[in-house]
Amino acid sequence: MIYDKTFDVIVVGGGHAGTEAALAAARMGAATLLLTHNITTVGEMSCNPAIGGIGKGHLVKEIDAMGGAMARAADKGGIHFRILNRSKGPAVRATRAQADRVLYKQAIRYTVENQPNLVFFQQAVDDLIVKGETVRGVITQGGLRFFAKAVVLTTGTFLGGKIHIGDTQYSAGRAGDPPSIALSHRLRELPFRVGRLKTGTPPRIDGRTIDYTQLQEQKGDEPVPVFSFSGDASQHPRQVSCFITHTNVKTHEIIAAGLQRSPLYTGAIEGIGPRYCPSIEDKIVRFKEREAHQIFIEPEGLETHEVYPNGISTSLPFDIQSALVHSICGLEKAHITRAGYAIEYDFFDPRDLKSTLETKALSALFFAGQINGTTGYEEAGAQGLLAGINAACLALEKESWEPKRSESYLGVLVDDLITLGTKEPYRMFTSRAEYRLTLREDNADLRLTPIAYKLGLISETQWRAFEEKQDSIERETERLNALWVRPNTAPAKALESFFDQPLERECRALDLLRRPEMTYINMMAIDVLGPGVLDPSVAEQVETRVKYAGYISRQADEIARQARFLDLRIPKGLDYFTIKGLSTEILEKLKQHQPETLGHASRIPGVTPAAISLLLVALKKRGHWYGIENDPT
Amino acid sequence: MVQNDRDTIVAETTPRGRGGVGIVRVSGSKTAEIAEKILGGVPAVRKAEHLPFLAANQEVIDEGVALYFKAPHSFTGEDVLELQGHGGPVIMDSLIAAAVQAGARLAEPGEFSLRAYLNHKIDLCQAEAIADLINATSEAAARGALRSLQGVFSNEIDALVQEVITLRMYVEAAIDFPEEEIDFLKDDRIIQMLQNIKIKLEKIRTGAKQGRLLSEGIRVAIIGRPNAGKSSLLNYLAGHEAAIVTDVPGTTRDVLREKICLDGLCIDLVDTAGLRMGAEAIEREGIRRALKEAAIADHLVMMVDGMTTTETDPDILFSEWLAHFKTDIGRTVLFNKIDKLNLLPSVVEKENHTVISLSVKTGEGISLFREHLKKVVGFSVAEEGNFTARRRHLEALAKAEHHLLAGENQLVQHKAGELLAEELREVQKALDQITGKFSSDDLLGKIFSEFCIGK
Repeated sequence: MIYDKTFDVIVVGGGHAGTEAALAAARMGAATLLLTHNITTVGEMSCNPAIGGIGKGHLVKEIDAMGGAMARAADKGGIHFRILNRSKGPAVRATRAQADRVLYKQAIRYTVENQPNLVFFQQAVDDLIVKGETVRGVITQGGLRFFAKAVVLTTGTFLGGKIHIGDTQYSAGRAGDPPSIALSHRLRELPFRVGRLKTGTPPRIDGRTIDYTQLQEQKGDEPVPVFSFSGDASQHPRQVSCFITHTNVKTHEIIAAGLQRSPLYTGAIEGIGPRYCPSIEDKIVRFKEREAHQIFIEPEGLETHEVYPNGISTSLPFDIQSALVHSICGLEKAHITRAGYAIEYDFFDPRDLKSTLETKALSALFFAGQINGTTGYEEAGAQGLLAGINAACLALEKESWEPKRSESYLGVLVDDLITLGTKEPYRMFTSRAEYRLTLREDNADLRLTPIAYKLGLISETQWRAFEEKQDSIERETERLNALWVRPNTAPAKALESFFDQPLERECRALDLLRRPEMTYINMMAIDVLGPGVLDPSVAEQVETRVKYAGYISRQADEIARQARFLDLRIPKGLDYFTIKGLSTEILEKLKQHQPETLGHASRIPGVTPAAISLLLVALKKRGHWYGIENDPT
Repeated sequence: MVQNDRDTIVAETTPRGRGGVGIVRVSGSKTAEIAEKILGGVPAVRKAEHLPFLAANQEVIDEGVALYFKAPHSFTGEDVLELQGHGGPVIMDSLIAAAVQAGARLAEPGEFSLRAYLNHKIDLCQAEAIADLINATSEAAARGALRSLQGVFSNEIDALVQEVITLRMYVEAAIDFPEEEIDFLKDDRIIQMLQNIKIKLEKIRTGAKQGRLLSEGIRVAIIGRPNAGKSSLLNYLAGHEAAIVTDVPGTTRDVLREKICLDGLCIDLVDTAGLRMGAEAIEREGIRRALKEAAIADHLVMMVDGMTTTETDPDILFSEWLAHFKTDIGRTVLFNKIDKLNLLPSVVEKENHTVISLSVKTGEGISLFREHLKKVVGFSVAEEGNFTARRRHLEALAKAEHHLLAGENQLVQHKAGELLAEELREVQKALDQITGKFSSDDLLGKIFSEFCIGK
């Protein structure tokens, strides 16, 4: 049966990738359908109830800068906010929020329901409609045929999902939800490379059975941080604390004794888990010398007693889970409300994707989220945004958007995925970004909002607010640059209390602010120099830009130098065999990856700089020159 | 389409030395602006104009011919200004300084060629030749980069790279996992590691210097009896009158040096006083210096006057001076003045030396000598010589040290862990150029700076 309306974009899946994808496509004006097997789980946080963190917070801010939902939902659902790395400099600072699952989900659901051009439909998808090498739509479990110009698959852990608890296993998409078996089988018939990954969750605990007096309290930051560029602290619900406890030698003995019943060690799990987020049994085995591992007791919400003990994700049998929990200080009498589990699922090798997240094999088909081998809500949401944008671009016949490594974490994420692939669930870290000092949380809007505006992702109101902020930053920077401080004047004397030596000559206020000992707030407290701007986000930009100026201009030079060569497009179907001098090994790699640009080619492991030079010359010979489309030669 | 939006570069394009004419070339978007400042106006396109060249303070540096080319019709494809003045380092340096003050920056070696290449000014044939060269040289560089350093250095550098990686691991972990109770930035371990790396790096650099790795090029000393034609050879190869040549034996009383460029390979050519016994005091001093040069040279060119002997065995020819020469040094005997003997140029390989018959006066056989010289100083197009690799390594070590110190300063003075991390990334990048993982973009720039391509 054919559904009577044709869409521009169909998004399959209502998780963090799916909702951002559907919202982005709809914001751009594409007639969008969000298909999910269960409308009530839209915006569900299936793993820990937190948004952000190092690298991840950066992604959330980027999504926000492009009009996405995640940061605003975190502001409405966040019950404990912190800025991590506060002592380490703005580039590596990141926001993290514990969220009330219910409030977060509500906020996402509200945004999705009220988004023009976007409709829901509840039914699982079993099949794709493929004509030639183009995807035209999907077929649901009930046999409904939906047609669209582009389809985005965000199936999370549902493809071939299998849950393990001890020696028992069953098929599931996540605890309590059915997996997508039919779709998984169908996709395995298509020309994509498939792998298996694993992730896990800890058992959940009834907070009333925890002895909090034994735990170390961790309060949220004051004043409470805000996630969204357009948000404010008044949107936050009541704030609560997290707590910290540790495993101990006894815990480790219990786990060691149960290892032979862990599916990780019996061989029942073939999928590869993340090294940076190991299960507690993994930690015990790999770091034998450690006598304690940290556990964060995170609240699941304001209206529930359930808590999430972050740090003891496990797939051990329930009796061992229970014993290990009870061996932990403060959790001696804890009641487990849900068992921890490991889940294995299919993912598709992201090297089969273009940097728009469209598949290379089938056009008009986009993948986003865990299906691409990533983990985390933030990574999923960022990909969803990108896939949604490009699906809409395709449907609306606009030029697609390929984020660059030098421009955003989103660019780093996608570039890593499509050029390197992944062996474990991929998670963002700041160390993945070579332009880390440029890609900061605080300037995500300055980096991406202009792009979002051009793509039609943000409203005129948001754009005007952004422009105003940008103007204030320029004006204040200019003011401090034009403001001179003479030695032996009152402001100079006031400044000298911060410096080792008195001012010897006339200095620009901006140059004085550049000094590590000086802060904007301290400077503005001085008569004549202050009061400066009131908006702290403007002040922060003025200060950070001047403090990082040398490094940022060095990175900017590097970016410009790289761009000359690395943005050069490699024509589709280029016959690498015609290029003299490439080794067989490199030929194979290039053939397999089919990189889109010289930059992608250069980052494929094993492709040597010499090979890139040869490619460059070969491309020049063919008249494809860097960034110059209408090359006459 | 030609890109003319790059920054503007300046360099002397004639070989460094005391030539009659020296040319300074400026290329890039600010060329017209610079012409305005140095010449007081932009010369007509492609017309030679005789003008005074002005410094920033309006003083006349020199007078000469100015040529202006408008993009894309120039060597580089960008706006180009050529200032042809009187040769000599002082004038050339002043002209370059004037251009820099007017907004240009010093060109990297080979950068003009690189721009010409990027702007389609080099044809397909040349592009292919470049490809071959890139392939041959960079593959060799990657394979043999470590090998080309002396064994002991390569081990030390390897150890150093490992330590840098370990340090970065700690720093990055502290940044990316602030909640994991591993904030190494707060304890002394990182400072300690930084100190260790600093000491190691310093040691390697000192060692490298002692190994004469810092020397600018391969040193080739020309020795021989008086009036054998040593100075003439130097002049011939240098392309201008660097040494005073007369018919009077013993004219060269001091040591003369000239840098010559053979296909991008720099050679320090040293002309010495003629060797003879029983000379007067001043000449004896010249001979003493000549022998000193011979003792530290990488290769000896032994000049023989074919009119005076038929002997070509260096052990016999220079028997009385043998004790002064390194035993394992490469030796080339040049049997000169074949024009007067009616002989043909030739190369004869002997067991421990080579004999080349030539005439410096007519130039017959000089090309044989050039090719031979390239071979003996370790350069062939198929494989990058140790020489260039070594220089690159030293440059990389210097850069690594610079960033290491900057990083230490960021951590110790300002507690800026993320800036330490950034500097360490640069350290690694510098060291990567030795261990072979450097980026393609860097490599390209390097290659074009190491080799005179497309001229």
